Amino acid sequence: MSGRARLALVLVVVALALGPLFLTPVPPSEWAPELWGSSFGEPRGWALTLRELTPLLIGGVAVWLALRAGLFNIGAEGQMLVGACATGAVALAPAFPGQLPLAIGAGVLAGALWALPAGALRTFRGGHEVISCIMLNQLAFLLTGWLVKGPMKDPNAGGATTKMLDESLRWAPIAKFGRAELDWALPLGLALMVGLWYWRKHRVGGYELEAVGTNATAARFAGIPAEMVPFRAFAMSGGLAGLAGALLVVADQNRFYDGMTSGKGFDSLGVALLAGANPLALAPSALLFAALNAATTGMNQIGIPKGLSGLMLGGLILLFASASQRKDNAHE
Amino acid sequence: MNEFVTFFTNTLSLAVPLVLAGFGGLLSERSGVMNIALEGKLLVGACAAAVVGALTGNPYLGMVAALVASTVLSLAHAELTQRYRMDHIVAGMALNLIAIGATNYVSKLEQFSQTLSGVVRVPQVVLASIIVVLIAVVMAVILRGRGGLHLWAVGEDPVKARLVGLNPVAIRYLALLGTGLFCGLGGTWIMANASGFTDGMTAGRGFIALAALVLVGWRPLPLLAACLVFGAVQSLQLVFQGVPIMGTVWPSEVWAAMPYAVTLLALAGFAGSTKPPAGLGVQ
Repeated sequence: MSGRARLALVLVVVALALGPLFLTPVPPSEWAPELWGSSFGEPRGWALTLRELTPLLIGGVAVWLALRAGLFNIGAEGQMLVGACATGAVALAPAFPGQLPLAIGAGVLAGALWALPAGALRTFRGGHEVISCIMLNQLAFLLTGWLVKGPMKDPNAGGATTKMLDESLRWAPIAKFGRAELDWALPLGLALMVGLWYWRKHRVGGYELEAVGTNATAARFAGIPAEMVPFRAFAMSGGLAGLAGALLVVADQNRFYDGMTSGKGFDSLGVALLAGANPLALAPSALLFAALNAATTGMNQIGIPKGLSGLMLGGLILLFASASQRKDNAHE
Repeated sequence: MNEFVTFFTNTLSLAVPLVLAGFGGLLSERSGVMNIALEGKLLVGACAAAVVGALTGNPYLGMVAALVASTVLSLAHAELTQRYRMDHIVAGMALNLIAIGATNYVSKLEQFSQTLSGVVRVPQVVLASIIVVLIAVVMAVILRGRGGLHLWAVGEDPVKARLVGLNPVAIRYLALLGTGLFCGLGGTWIMANASGFTDGMTAGRGFIALAALVLVGWRPLPLLAACLVFGAVQSLQLVFQGVPIMGTVWPSEVWAAMPYAVTLLALAGFAGSTKPPAGLGVQ
């Protein structure tokens, strides 16, 4: 691709992300400080950014893992949602010992199970995982929506939401900086990211994943079970996405409500794409997406519609995707 | 008797956007461009029809705006996948995000949100005639014309198609132009049956159309049938609202889930072959 074409894309994306700001009656002297203040500039901004960061980081880890095996886990949104729903269901059951770990385990399991059909169809039937993931996402929206409007609904609440979790089932923050709260979910996400890095570099499974993702035929001739690797990768990816949903319930919202993942699974694909080949880049990548989400949430309060985040994140994804473009096809 | 008439008109009305998005998807995917952005294209079409229709008070200008908006998004899809050689799925996903964001932004802007209550609609008779003619023409071209042959060739094997003198990139641009027009019409139809624009008002129709496309193995006549069946399912949902079947009232979600569940089963091989065009997603 020529430099001019790349420049054109950059200009279009900048225009898409910033142009709409000038359509509002809100002057730049108001939205510019808000853009910075509600992401990094002020303590309340850090609070918002930190809240957004953890699910995007763990979701990014999930999608990245599948991406290395050459699979697009566009179903992370649905897996997160069923994970959160399952965690909520177990955590809201009558109290029993070991409820919290079991609730989180249920979330992981639900996420993995929700990814399984896509992995199985890809492995055993050759069906494209993106198509099955889209179907599974839609089914996840409908299923969790029905559950939280029906059997799981808090009878005293107006909207589609469950009751709040019992105090003992919530993850208390480990530190507070003013209004910013740090809970255990973020260190866990960072640990998962480093673990993924180690696994890929130093474990057989990680090597096989990389080999199959790079060249499945060569991997098969090297004796790697090339059929099973994508299947396993998809199950792991789904489990991690389920975990992101589970932590959203126990560490952040302390309840489940309709559509609570609000596109975080889709944003995770952007996080994973931006990180490129290095899993340790997932943290700064997730931070960027989290900050943009926080900034647009803050700007929504002064009258700038929230849709700006879709324009900004979608534009960013296009920029990374064009920069890290696949090498020119030999046929061209 | 009356119920049957209502059921059939409902079915047709609900199937129209599915058919339009489905044929848009057919053009795109048969040319080799994987299209998961049908939903976004319908959405911008509906939003443009609502905003421009309300601002000018002229529903036909709204329809033109819808066609332009969807086509711009669709040609952006062509540009990104063909010139920038971007992965088709990434490009489609990003375009969906942009479509959701842009339509939310525009419809929530203060200067528009006031006027948006004054929705004007294109008469359904006019829209329906345009749609019937268009579908018939495209169907004839695809099934009988040389254009259809070229489209198929480019989608199955772009390299060999180039060797026999076709220009795959140009054909894909044309195909995506068609996708944009179809989705713009689909958006106009959705607005013509609504009381105003709301976020995500396409409600997964683009994905249902994609499901139909996969279900029938990317073939035009069965696609038409599948979209009608999915429309009938949505229409049945209205009939059986609150009416018990086998002793229980089925929640509306069960009806809404049917197209997706059936497509998953089809992918698993329970409904014959669902073989995609060989060159789908290939640069």
